[in-house]
Amino acid sequence: MSAIPPELPTPVSEELLVQRLRARDESAMTLFYEKYSAALYGVIFRIVKKEEIAEDVLQESLVKIWHSFYSYDASKGRLFTWVLNISRNLAIDKIRSRQYRVNSRTQPIEESAALRQAAEPSFRPEHIGLQEMTRQLNPEQRQIIDLLYFGGFTQSEVAEELNLPLGTVKTRARAAIKVLSKLIR
Amino acid sequence: MNIQEYIESGILEQYALGELDETQRADVERQAASYPEIRAELDEVEQALGAYGEAHALTPPPGMKERVLAGFQAAIQQDAEQTPKASSQEAVVRQMPAPTAETERAEIGSSWVSWSMAAAVALLIVSGAANLFLFNKWKQTETDLTVALNQQASYASTVQAVNKNLASRNQELSILRSEQFQTVALVGTPAAPDAKARVLYNPTTKAVYLDVRKLPAAPPGKQYQLWALDQGKPVDAGVLAAATAAGDSLQQMKDIASAQAFAMTVEDEGGSPNPTLSTMTVLGKMQ
Repeated sequence: MSAIPPELPTPVSEELLVQRLRARDESAMTLFYEKYSAALYGVIFRIVKKEEIAEDVLQESLVKIWHSFYSYDASKGRLFTWVLNISRNLAIDKIRSRQYRVNSRTQPIEESAALRQAAEPSFRPEHIGLQEMTRQLNPEQRQIIDLLYFGGFTQSEVAEELNLPLGTVKTRARAAIKVLSKLIR
Repeated sequence: MNIQEYIESGILEQYALGELDETQRADVERQAASYPEIRAELDEVEQALGAYGEAHALTPPPGMKERVLAGFQAAIQQDAEQTPKASSQEAVVRQMPAPTAETERAEIGSSWVSWSMAAAVALLIVSGAANLFLFNKWKQTETDLTVALNQQASYASTVQAVNKNLASRNQELSILRSEQFQTVALVGTPAAPDAKARVLYNPTTKAVYLDVRKLPAAPPGKQYQLWALDQGKPVDAGVLAAATAAGDSLQQMKDIASAQAFAMTVEDEGGSPNPTLSTMTVLGKMQ
């Protein structure tokens, strides 16, 4: 059955996926996985930092996407943005959950600042955009964006954590997002 | 409301990062729906953050795809069934590792055993059901794959046939457009006044092509045959294929060293060494 080599690209369009998911076509989830798993897994992994938990969160994400698909509104944005938000929120819920904090008591997520500095992963990200993005962001902007995006911190929590005025955090976050926005335009 | 102030307040970033509660989210969505500038800014923020996330893509470890998809299938299947039994099982499983007072150890021990038996049986049933479900899914997928492969094979042979057809049409076109070929118009004899065809003759390569415009259908068991007339002597130029006689395509005939005229007769199937002049259908002289 798995005669199809996994490295073959599956160029399924977003529109077709949306159509099939809306039609409650379960097999569309395989195509969905092929198209989005790397992007979703990358974000989830950087938030939860453990392979097995990232796998669980990815699976939970698929279930949640399946069940709440009726609430996806294509006029409000791309499917990718929507599913990425779902996965990211589930991953953040996971690291904020009591059980997760108990399990990782030896290394509380709040204590080690180094852990949150998006340490260079041991495997190289495939996406060429990453280096360019991190080069364009200055270290302060990158620190804030990583705390917000992968650390699950709110802007106020970042302000507290870094001992900065909230206004400064907001300005830096906005500036960082502007830099990213220019890069993709 | 000052739109610029709203945008610069950072609330759109908070929205995109998922920091807001339901009420605040609804408010941002309302503002975005009313003010195109806010909508545009929000889209920009969401796209920038999405791109940042995407830039961190990692290929999941091997084997994860099968596990995650199977887990997904099992989960939505279970949700669909929604049996109260499933939820009580879950409670049982969670109670297992919760031993309490030591004095009641024996009692708890025996109930623990029976609970774990029950849980094990229930898990076995769930796992069996999941297996059956996945097996059926797999069968279905296999059938789908076979259908897809068959379709692909049929498309491939269609494309091959079309390509072959195209190649022969291209060749015909190049002959029709070539200046090396002389055209000999063949017109109907009194036996078939409507008949019309032409011969394309290349005096250098000696190649002969026949292009039928109109011919009466040959009687059963008979076939048209083309003749070259050289110094008044008929030379066999080959019989016409059915498609050629019907006017569907050009046909390359036998090479002819020299000719002043061409003619067609009706002969027994397979052709004849000598023309039956009484059946001559078309005739044309070279210019």
